[in-house]
Amino acid sequence: MSIKKFIRKWVTTAMAVGLVSVSNSILAEDWAKIEANAKKEGALLVYSTTSRTAKAAKVFSAKHGIAVEVIRLKEQDLIQRAYQEAASGVQKVDMIVAEDWVAARELLANTGYFVNYVPPTARELFPKRHQNPLVLGYINRVFGYNTDKHSSGNPFKSVWDLTTDEFKGRVMIRDVAITGEHQNALTEWVRRSDELADAYQRRFGKPLVMTEANAGLEFIKRFLQNDPIIMTSDTKISKAVGAAGQENPPYGMFYVYSKHRDKALKDLRITDNRQVDPTLGYYYPIVLQLAAKAPHPNAAKMFMEYLGTIEGFAPWADSPGVYTPNPNQVPFEGDKPFSWWEKKMWYYDLDFAAANRGIVLDTWLKYAQR
Amino acid sequence: MRTIYNRFRIGLTPQRVLSVVFLIALGYLVIFPLFLMAKETFIVHPLERFQIPGSSIGDLTLSHWIRSFVSENSFTFFYRPLLNTLQIAFGLSFLALLIGGTLAWLVVRTDIPMKNIITNAAIIPYIMPSWTLALAWIALFKNERIGGDQGIFTALTGVSTPDWFAYGLFPITITLALHYFPFGFMLIGGALRNIDAQLEESAELLGASRMATLRRIVIPLVLPAIFSTFLLTFSRGLGTFGTPAFLGGPVREFVLSTSLYANLIGGRPGIGYLAALAMIVLGVLVLYMDHKIIGTRRSYVTISGKGARAGLVALGRWRWPIASLLMGSILAVIVVPLGALAIDTFMLRPGLYSWENFTWHYWIGEASLSVGLGTGEPGILRNPELMSALGNTMKLAVVVALITGILGVLVGYAIVRMRGSWVSQALDQLSFLPYLMPSIALGAIFLAMFAVPRWPFPSLHGTFTLLVIACVVSYLPYAVKAGVSAIRQIGPELEEAAIMTGASWWTRMHRVIIPIQKSTYFSGLLLPFISVTRELSLLILLVTPTAQLATTITLRYTDRGWYPYTNGMVLLLVVIVVTCTIMSRRLMGTNIAKGLGG
Repeated sequence: MSIKKFIRKWVTTAMAVGLVSVSNSILAEDWAKIEANAKKEGALLVYSTTSRTAKAAKVFSAKHGIAVEVIRLKEQDLIQRAYQEAASGVQKVDMIVAEDWVAARELLANTGYFVNYVPPTARELFPKRHQNPLVLGYINRVFGYNTDKHSSGNPFKSVWDLTTDEFKGRVMIRDVAITGEHQNALTEWVRRSDELADAYQRRFGKPLVMTEANAGLEFIKRFLQNDPIIMTSDTKISKAVGAAGQENPPYGMFYVYSKHRDKALKDLRITDNRQVDPTLGYYYPIVLQLAAKAPHPNAAKMFMEYLGTIEGFAPWADSPGVYTPNPNQVPFEGDKPFSWWEKKMWYYDLDFAAANRGIVLDTWLKYAQR
Repeated sequence: MRTIYNRFRIGLTPQRVLSVVFLIALGYLVIFPLFLMAKETFIVHPLERFQIPGSSIGDLTLSHWIRSFVSENSFTFFYRPLLNTLQIAFGLSFLALLIGGTLAWLVVRTDIPMKNIITNAAIIPYIMPSWTLALAWIALFKNERIGGDQGIFTALTGVSTPDWFAYGLFPITITLALHYFPFGFMLIGGALRNIDAQLEESAELLGASRMATLRRIVIPLVLPAIFSTFLLTFSRGLGTFGTPAFLGGPVREFVLSTSLYANLIGGRPGIGYLAALAMIVLGVLVLYMDHKIIGTRRSYVTISGKGARAGLVALGRWRWPIASLLMGSILAVIVVPLGALAIDTFMLRPGLYSWENFTWHYWIGEASLSVGLGTGEPGILRNPELMSALGNTMKLAVVVALITGILGVLVGYAIVRMRGSWVSQALDQLSFLPYLMPSIALGAIFLAMFAVPRWPFPSLHGTFTLLVIACVVSYLPYAVKAGVSAIRQIGPELEEAAIMTGASWWTRMHRVIIPIQKSTYFSGLLLPFISVTRELSLLILLVTPTAQLATTITLRYTDRGWYPYTNGMVLLLVVIVVTCTIMSRRLMGTNIAKGLGG
């Protein structure tokens, strides 16, 4: 073991010990005291990738008399900004509602600029695996198709179908190159290459012959060689897939399921495919983190507590495709509970994703260009 | 000792002092960020370390350079997007010159009717955000490939458009050219207007044919304007992100700016900034060419308003047909995209175009969770958040316009009065450099630079001042161009006469220099003003919680698919800007063309 490795191991152990003691101290914290201090602290500043945070904040402010300022930023902008501010010692933000935890963890948590905090409701009700990092909710991304054309059922049963001639030039996906979460999700396809290869065997009855290093990258290559349509937004994908009166509608890959809330409003003939081997898509967390040098830590803690309650989650609960870890939440009408999705969909391994996301992006860039 | 001091004092002319001050300031605000950006390309960043074996965060590395330029995949990673970028930039400049030049010639040198209307209308495509044309293109020409509703063209004719026509480099080039041709129109128009007709008349007297006159006299005199147009449009073609991403994706044709964006998002700023640097270097090359070819010639261009106007070419019976065709095309480029945006703001249920579906809800409706999109947001005009953001945008635009305007005059003064020295050249080129920097990268760098206290500034993070600084630097090139062209037209003898009467520098400036070219200076304010109102990528990382801007706040509406609000805000901005432009033209005699240095 080299000295560097030894030190790293030692530091990790020390951090783990530290974490345990921190969580113990949180257990012993006095919530009443936090509430009392929060009221004295005043206006809270939150960066958020979702606009619904601002809605929750409005109700929260009215209820507790603590003003909350929410700045809406795209996921990478949020990470960049939170990182640069903390790195230059001007951390004015109190907490973040972030996505792309793989990147955020590297820049914000591993650097110590942001810390995890588990408020009482979450501590009591959320399953442990959703507590570190504290998850506000999970979002799922699915495969979808036009129900007018395919009224009798699923047009494809395996992800490998999307690499066949029948789907040439018909599959739409948000540009992986500009979507961090897609990159994370596809690292899981690399990590679970064997399962993906098995799915190929199941579909075509013969083993997968590869020119790439593994089945995950092989999929990316074949998928791109099958002339997919690269879009800039999930809203446009769901609309294109679901619009009425199409003879040859496209298929959607990896668009957020919550877009289905507009089905009635926009007259979308769209549904998600629930029989795709080996995964129905992927899900990813929206994460809450507390700034290490938050100017208003107690107010932030209170807001985090609020977001973990059924009332606080209400702005997200008005559509399918968003799931709080709070077991008391009733699933959106017509949607399955998260426990169902969790079994049918792949998530990703944070460490593996961080290490392999560059390879996924490079493979994508290599074959994406026509 | 005394004599050295005296000599120093005498040598301490205002222009010299100004030059030194500006050189230092620009070095700090332009060169330093560039240096920071370049530095990042040699450093291992958190997520990059996994792909660089044995590295840890902050190490020095050459791997970003190797990957981009000399690795096995360099062609797909770098050179291919580079070629696409160049194709767009060249095509766009050529088209912008062709459309703008033809239009300018028709308006200035023929007896075409409706000149005033055409002149005013031809500038509006530039005032509209460039992506409105991309959206309109898709709505018009999309085919089955991207699904959804039929494109209007296909719906009307039954003919399906080919992919190359609907998406990719071709429409990217066309839509950008339609956005930037006003540059060509204004600059070439200005140059044509300034040609002394006596030159052409002499040629005619000497028996030169019309073609010969055009080739030997008109074109050489207009050449500087042609090159300026080329420079301005070409560099914009290098850096634009929105239109290429939107129109190129469906057929997977990518450019350098998409590659910059992808790598920034992928957590690989080292590779991303290399793409940014490549864009800047290309821009500098064009700038250099411009100076080599035009640099000496430009100084001979004598601008005199006193010469006789050339006789107008009679279009004869083609007068009206050509005019109507022109007006028709210009209107199409303006009305179609804006109309498409506008219609959506009046449709209660999106995409359902009928009278029953008409509504004012998204403009003046009360907040409601059940009407229309059920957004729970009040209509635009009574939405306090949107209105205050709009107010902030206007405040920023005015402040930035005023500051860049003043700086433009002073830098222009220094450049012109120091003409022939390296200082003048350096100032001229330095002040143009920000024009070549992709704004996504510039925003990130400014954030990194000013979050910490940096002498002489305290930490400017989250302040309105920082927004102002970023915009001033970014739009200074316009103001300086205007300033240079204004001062150049004032002969030094005027100032010398003032000096003889004992006028101080300050008196000379505000009694002579500024009044004479008042309208040109005000023209110089217009472009920064317009640009600020629609800036997003430069400012997104810098906006303050209390001063959200119109563009940053509409983000949250866009990603929920609440397009009536987004579209409405864009329309409001366009209307405000057009009104301001027209008003300033009436009141101050401003002219955007002059703001470009035309």
